[in-house]
Amino acid sequence: MSGILNRRLLLKGSLAGITASCLPLSLIKLSFGATAPAKDFTFAYISDSHIQHIRGKEFVRNWDRGLIRAVAECNLMSPKPDFVVYGGDIAQLALPQEIDHGLEIMSRLNYKTHYVMGEHDFYLDMGEYWERQLGPQWYSFDHKGVHFVVLNSILTYDKWVNKWASGAERMGVMAGLDDPRGSPFMVGEEQRRWLAKDLAAINKSTPIVLFSHSPIQKIFKNWNFWTEDAEEIQALLGPFENATVLYGHVHQIQYNQIGNITFHSAMATAWPWPYPESYAQADNALPVLTVPMNRADPFFERDATGWQFVDVWSGKASVNYSLPQNTSRTVAYDFEAGRPVDTKYPQSLLAPQDHY
Amino acid sequence: MKRAYCILSATLISSALLVTNGALSADTPLGLPPLIVPVDNEITEAKVALGTKLFEDSRFSSTGEVSCATCHDSDSGFTDSPKVVSEGIHQLTGTRNAPTVINAAYMKLQFWDGREPDLESQSAQPFLNPVEMGLTSHEPILEVVRNDRAYRRMVRRAFSIDPDDVTMDHVQKAIASFERTIISGNSPFDRYRYGGDETAMSEAAIRGLEVFEDDGRCVSCHTISQSFALFTDGKFHNLNVSFDRISEGIGNLTQAYSERREAGTNLNVDVLTEADVSELGRFAVTGEWTDTGAFKTSTLRNIEVTAPYMHDGSQETLEDVVDFYNNGGAVNEGDPINDFQSSGIRPLDLTDQQKLDLVEFMKALTSPEYASSGIAED
Amino acid sequence: MKHNLTLFLIFSVFSFHGVPAAVADEFTQEDIDVWQAEYMAVVQKGRDLFTDPALGNSENGVICGQCHPNGANTHPETYPKFQKQIGRVIGLWEMVNWCLRNPLEAEPLDAASPDMTAIIAYMAHERRGVPLEPGKH
Repeated sequence: MSGILNRRLLLKGSLAGITASCLPLSLIKLSFGATAPAKDFTFAYISDSHIQHIRGKEFVRNWDRGLIRAVAECNLMSPKPDFVVYGGDIAQLALPQEIDHGLEIMSRLNYKTHYVMGEHDFYLDMGEYWERQLGPQWYSFDHKGVHFVVLNSILTYDKWVNKWASGAERMGVMAGLDDPRGSPFMVGEEQRRWLAKDLAAINKSTPIVLFSHSPIQKIFKNWNFWTEDAEEIQALLGPFENATVLYGHVHQIQYNQIGNITFHSAMATAWPWPYPESYAQADNALPVLTVPMNRADPFFERDATGWQFVDVWSGKASVNYSLPQNTSRTVAYDFEAGRPVDTKYPQSLLAPQDHY
Repeated sequence: MKRAYCILSATLISSALLVTNGALSADTPLGLPPLIVPVDNEITEAKVALGTKLFEDSRFSSTGEVSCATCHDSDSGFTDSPKVVSEGIHQLTGTRNAPTVINAAYMKLQFWDGREPDLESQSAQPFLNPVEMGLTSHEPILEVVRNDRAYRRMVRRAFSIDPDDVTMDHVQKAIASFERTIISGNSPFDRYRYGGDETAMSEAAIRGLEVFEDDGRCVSCHTISQSFALFTDGKFHNLNVSFDRISEGIGNLTQAYSERREAGTNLNVDVLTEADVSELGRFAVTGEWTDTGAFKTSTLRNIEVTAPYMHDGSQETLEDVVDFYNNGGAVNEGDPINDFQSSGIRPLDLTDQQKLDLVEFMKALTSPEYASSGIAED
Repeated sequence: MKHNLTLFLIFSVFSFHGVPAAVADEFTQEDIDVWQAEYMAVVQKGRDLFTDPALGNSENGVICGQCHPNGANTHPETYPKFQKQIGRVIGLWEMVNWCLRNPLEAEPLDAASPDMTAIIAYMAHERRGVPLEPGKH
């Protein structure tokens, strides 16, 4: 897919056999133009860079290059995105130098960026340095008729937080995705109360887009693809006609529909993660809808990594994944089916998807 | 003129697509896999003879002085070594270093940016390029072929048609058939690795092979397989060669060229006549951000005789190339690295001995039939 | 006296096991438990190495566990197999070394080293129960 001129191609209705590139630009714009109350616009979404400090001024080159490339490619977007959202985990161990190095790379972006907290940014000092550099850990803003909410969804039980000898130890445990000493993510009561109040003022026909690092679903507890109070957050989004949750953390393509809420995950710029089913010793609840990402060449440093840009129209999001040396993907909302659908691989899987 | 001339009698399995005979025929050079030949262009002696003559014919240029063989000279490893970039009519220069024809038949895509899918379609392009043969249409070629007695005889024999009915399709098929005979293996490395001859390579080259496969990380893209070695993954990578020419304003350049592509432009002419479009590499072909500044991995076979190196011939010697990679993709240590550089490239910390050995290994990739062409061995 | 000694020996063997005496080469449940404990200790060591930033004197501190939580996607059940990047059929240990050299920027381990054995034991343990599919890409 040409990253530059085809990107406003969104599909409505049945998608069988039709790929985005077949439909002329003008036809697409015409079919959704006038009736949509919220305006059409695009923003970029970059996530999970895991900038990792080695010593002195050295950082893990592989992760640096992933973010550098995402930023450079994002800068090539034309027309320009309205803004960028960073999905969390800019650092690996929440070290100030990691956060700063990541922000330095991100500063090369030509657009305003909104940041989401990730656990790798947080558990060293409970988000203190991150907050000093980036502001509130949860907030909302409006843009072209859409209400955006950003949550810190990687909090956990106070008892767990307080039991460690040091922030470094606590961060080290949380940094291990599969570390059994970890603790499940949650949004927590304080933010739920804030969210309820924030949403109370919003008209129910206003599209809501919620940014979270954890999935606001319960997918796989072993790897914290999990939000303890997912149901409560989902319930708060329930009354709205159009709600979308965009999340990071999982380093893979996932998408789902629960009631009125559409869920989309972001790719990581750093490295991909296996799907939960590849761990034979535990069960998982990966959304059935999800068509797995294409592991085109696992030996390639940037395989199954990337960034995405999101087209918002008629209150729904269409996520366009830009994947290096791989077929780019678009997961678009199918209005007839009432759920997100992958426009490239609607049914049968390629070998590199089936294998993983 | 010396030429590697071997006729393959490849058996074809019927299928709509390109297939190959799985068995290694006696004619497949040591170290190479069986050649894939398109179903619609079986190699025959008659086609090869015709293709050879076409390849060497300078009448197919506006000045009557340039043929395929001008830039792909069998005495220089089928390149125009030591030219940095090729020279066409009136000694006009393009932007790219001539790739070798040797083993091009194994490439999945042709040209540095992969803009043509096969030898057949590649062969038609240079005739129409203003800095190569400078023709405005293929008609002069067909004129010559139709009116030349030798050609008429060869066309009849190769395609069983009336020579008056010859088309560019026939010309392209013949040239491609000729090029499919320009394959070579059996280098000292091949004899060492696949021929079981432990004395085939020098001690230094053997050490260099180890560097190639381990600390040098070369094998990541310049592949060596179990029973053959193509030394190329067929993919496109941005190494940071000369990208600094377009780093500044890359956004405008990519945007502008994408618009030209959408509007319809002659890619083949653009990349050889406009230096900054050339540096875009594969991006100019696909429009994908991920291809910015990316060029096809060359084979390393016969690399010793096809200097200089890289898409723009900017690296003169194999030692320069090794230094470039050792610096993490920089001519001088500390040069800026562009944002689109392939993540696999990184500083290597090779010792001086390892660097020398690596060069010795690369010299062991020259096939015997090209051993004394191009740069003389000292 | 000899008779008594024999009786004594037989008696002590009986009382020790409570069952007919095992013949010298036969192993018992106790032996199995001991060996299993040895194995699990090596598995645990493998897990420790799998999450050790200093493995192979890594230049960059990246650990196996970052990309392979619980050893997922290492697919030990598919080896030996043709590994595209290496260009030939290899065993799992060579793949570990590829990862050590490339993403981990570290030195490879000897095939026979206890560390390599431990890492492989860990991956295999996390993949237990999955049928063998050697050669599967």
